[in-house]
Amino acid sequence: MSFRTKLFLVFLVTVLASVSLVAYGVTHYTQTAFEEMDAQRTQALVTQFKREYAQRGEAVLQEVKNIANAEITLRMAIDLARPNADQSTYVRDANGAAQDHNLDFVQFVNSDGTLISSAQYPARVGYKDEWVTARKDWNDTPAFLRKEELPDGVELSLTVVRALPVGDKTLYIVGGRRVDQHFLASLALPEGMRALLYRNLEPNFSPTALTDKDGAVAQADRFQPLIEQVQKQSRAQSEPTAQRIDWTSNAAESETFNAIPLAGPNNELLGVLLAGSSQKELVLLTRQIVKISAAVAGAAILIGLLISWWVSSRITKPVEELAEGAREVATGRWDTRIDVRGSDEIGQLATAFNDMTRTLASQKEKLVQTERVAAWRELARRLAHELRNPLFPLQITVENLQRAKQLEAKQFLEVFNESTATLKAELANLNTIVTRFSDFSKMPAPHFAQVNINESLRNAIRLFEPQFNEVGKPTITPEFFLAEPLPEVEADPDLLHRAFQNLVLNALDAMPAGGTLTVRTSENNGNLRIEVTDTGKGLTPEECSRLFTPYYTTKLQGTGLGLAIVQSVVSDHHGTISVSSEEGRGATFRIELPQHQPGGISRPKQDAPAVRPLSTFAAASD
Amino acid sequence: MKFIVLRWPAATRWVIFALLACLALVPQAAATRHPRYGGTLRVELRESAISFDPRTWKPGTLESSANEKVAALVFDRLVALDNYGHFQPQLAAEWSHDAAARRWQIRLRDGVKFSDDTPLTGADVVAALQPLFPATIQLSASGNTLAVQSASPLPDLLELLASGRYLIYRAQPDRTLAGTGPFFVAEAAAPSSDGKTAHYVLKASENCWAGRPFVDAIDLTLGLPALRRLLDLQLGKTDLIELAPELVRRAAQENLRVWASTPVITFGLRIDASQSAASNPRLREALSYSLDRTTMANVLLQKQAEPAAALLPQWLSGYAFLFDVDNSLDRAKAIRATLLPSLAAAAEPLRLRVDASGELPKLLAERVAVNARQAGMTVQVMNRPVQRDAGAAAPANESAAGLHLFAWHVTSLSPRLELDAFLTALGQSDPSSVETSVEVGQLYARERRILEDRRVLPLVALPEYAGLSATVRNWLPARWGEWHLADVWLDLPEPAPSAANSPVTAIPQQLAPSGAKP
Repeated sequence: MSFRTKLFLVFLVTVLASVSLVAYGVTHYTQTAFEEMDAQRTQALVTQFKREYAQRGEAVLQEVKNIANAEITLRMAIDLARPNADQSTYVRDANGAAQDHNLDFVQFVNSDGTLISSAQYPARVGYKDEWVTARKDWNDTPAFLRKEELPDGVELSLTVVRALPVGDKTLYIVGGRRVDQHFLASLALPEGMRALLYRNLEPNFSPTALTDKDGAVAQADRFQPLIEQVQKQSRAQSEPTAQRIDWTSNAAESETFNAIPLAGPNNELLGVLLAGSSQKELVLLTRQIVKISAAVAGAAILIGLLISWWVSSRITKPVEELAEGAREVATGRWDTRIDVRGSDEIGQLATAFNDMTRTLASQKEKLVQTERVAAWRELARRLAHELRNPLFPLQITVENLQRAKQLEAKQFLEVFNESTATLKAELANLNTIVTRFSDFSKMPAPHFAQVNINESLRNAIRLFEPQFNEVGKPTITPEFFLAEPLPEVEADPDLLHRAFQNLVLNALDAMPAGGTLTVRTSENNGNLRIEVTDTGKGLTPEECSRLFTPYYTTKLQGTGLGLAIVQSVVSDHHGTISVSSEEGRGATFRIELPQHQPGGISRPKQDAPAVRPLSTFAAASD
Repeated sequence: MKFIVLRWPAATRWVIFALLACLALVPQAAATRHPRYGGTLRVELRESAISFDPRTWKPGTLESSANEKVAALVFDRLVALDNYGHFQPQLAAEWSHDAAARRWQIRLRDGVKFSDDTPLTGADVVAALQPLFPATIQLSASGNTLAVQSASPLPDLLELLASGRYLIYRAQPDRTLAGTGPFFVAEAAAPSSDGKTAHYVLKASENCWAGRPFVDAIDLTLGLPALRRLLDLQLGKTDLIELAPELVRRAAQENLRVWASTPVITFGLRIDASQSAASNPRLREALSYSLDRTTMANVLLQKQAEPAAALLPQWLSGYAFLFDVDNSLDRAKAIRATLLPSLAAAAEPLRLRVDASGELPKLLAERVAVNARQAGMTVQVMNRPVQRDAGAAAPANESAAGLHLFAWHVTSLSPRLELDAFLTALGQSDPSSVETSVEVGQLYARERRILEDRRVLPLVALPEYAGLSATVRNWLPARWGEWHLADVWLDLPEPAPSAANSPVTAIPQQLAPSGAKP
């Protein structure tokens, strides 16, 4: 993942996190504020509802007062106060009073509690309503809720009783309005609120006892917990109990109901008013805010995305230029320069980079010069050393030969023959030395063909079989762990054969006391691996690091070119060579060769350097 | 020229002036004393629809009585019963029967014509009456003579023919009915869109055998609510109304003319076996004792009704006073206490279905429920929103009711036949026993048996009430509620000469029957 991508992601995550946090915060606090506002609104509605309820009671009270103050009522009271009054005369008067005063319930009750007239239940006329006469302070009693017995059941009534005394008799006027769906419909409620009434006429919850202004309430069972909670509460408690009801999965359809207990004159729970407040407005408003927040957040994220991309591009461009410059430097282009923009840290870094490449180029030139000088010195030293070895016998031989002039001819002839033989041998030795150096300098360009590595390895080792079992020398045992079948590789068979010979020769030199030469081949990710392991004395880490340097050798008679040639061959095959060793436990040379060479078999190697580095021209034999 | 000036003393002048004024008022005063023709009698009735076809009537229902009241203006009977109990010939001029009263011969009045000016024949009478008689009674006509042959004695045939639906008509090809009565149907307006009101105009028949009625026409409006009828009467918008019992006291208080018949409507409870508890005689006895009929009549109905202990009213049977109004709440409670809870309507209430329409039956039913509750029994009142006949079946989805509150209107002037019809309608008749005796003792014994079984519990007996305007004169209805509107004349101001003949001349020629005035 590029630095720009990382930086862009970091910016993006930061923007996302910030925007999300802000959006959540705005939504949360807005919703909380709305809920508080809704609670206050609901409380206001409940208060308004109670006020409305109280006003209805006042209205009933006023109408009953009007009935009590009417002349016809006074006449009735006077007439009924007389002995043997004909009560049947007034049987239908309650009807008229109810119609005239717009009341649902009107009853006239005599001093002894006898029902004189009833608008709502005329069939009960003549029977006693003793609850009316049981109390004397009716004129100070406000409207109250009571169960009103009707022919077809029991209803709730907002009732007022007034007493009209005439002499020692009293006529009671009982008036009321039905507390039912029509009562609910007549309440002036604000938009989004509705009122329900539960008539608590049965000991257990009854769904049919719940009504709204349109009649029966759908899913009335949903109100059972709320109603039962009110029923269990203290009767004296008038504080509303609230419950939210989700009618559907859509939260906008939800309603919050505040249950207001309605108690009778003896504090018995006769009904429960449910003031329902729709959550629709709140939910829609919240949804609108969430939508706006989401839109703003989306826009912010998009803008942040663009800004992040632009900023990250702007920040990483100099860095990328630095990286590109570094890569170019790595490829050898020491003269790479990058543009310096600004004087900030990146600009200073670019300046330093340019300074560094400039210094590196200078140092490289110096190093090349130094190495070249050192190489020439090493070559001269090695050449002098190699040449001095045969020259010294030559000098001795010549001097012996000069001294032999003074000897007899026979002796001189013997010396002469011996000296010429020595001279020939040393000259041959000189010639060999020169040839080796010449061969190393003439490493040919590889000609690739399909090569069976296992076969090539066997051929190379077969050449040394006589030396493995040479009489008078410790035995060396070759062991083969060759993977079969092994795919062929594109390689130069002669160069590979020469490289394998050098490796085997190197291993033989490493095991003067005998041992085991182990050869392994394997395939690894399309590459072929060749391992040549000896059981010699091993190498130190410092030796391992310098082992492939031309002219470096750990042997008294080595030229230091054998492994350098191996490395040169492997390198020409685009492979790698490494060595691992522990002192006293031998060493393993590991070669990785690709199966296919760039450019294929037919194409002669084009990228082989026309002029090999100076260090590779040294010729020596281990 | 010499003018002679007469000089009168001042007192003499005043006397002469007073005499002249009296002479001017004489014709006006005379108009209030003597019958006069003309005018339209406006009548408002309770029922929203009427049927002129007696074959479709259900005897005993309030609807049937309304039908009868209107149809009697268009059709005639063979005989009539006057308020003194004497049979008066109508379409029948004379009649006779054999000793066993199984064969009757009736000679029809000569010269009687239908409103379409065709003569009345014996075949017309047979065609009108035969569908109303059982198969055991066969009618035949021979010229102007009608023969009635019965398998059993028919001593009260004249009472039968003088009441109920035994009216004489002729079915026209257009399926309308023509009558010989004092009026004919001149206009029948379509019922209102809500079906609650209807309107008829009956015109005076000029060639009626009994003479032309005094009024030119009767404007009949049906289906108006009770209070609206009363208000219309108060405001002079109508001349004659059916007055609801609950408004009688109010009408009287407002000095309106109120007429009441003898008690002709009986409200009562019918108990059947639709609910098992109702079959228990002890429960029926407890229920009977719990009923406070006196309060129903005197308080709820404000003394406009009488507590009823018998099925037939006193004026019809003569023995109704022998039955006691056995109200005893303590006794009802005692009997109730002896009943098992399952039989005392404790688990399932006794359902009381109100089979009659109107507010009054509903009020009575509710009172029955209150009375029963006082005695420890639960009665649930089931109101019937639609008008229903006493014997009509309940809808399929309605719970079975063991109690039924019914209303029965007297339909026959024969106590025997009235009791038969009553019990048949209530499903209490015994088909195996055919009572043909008109002997009072036997009727009393029969009715007592029925009442002691307590499957029928009479509650109150109610008269029919009518409200009349001051202009209605010669109001002489039958005691049992039959209006004789042909005898009524209207005390209207003397019409202007130009308009004097307008009510008559306004009648289309084809509708105005020709004939001599009496």
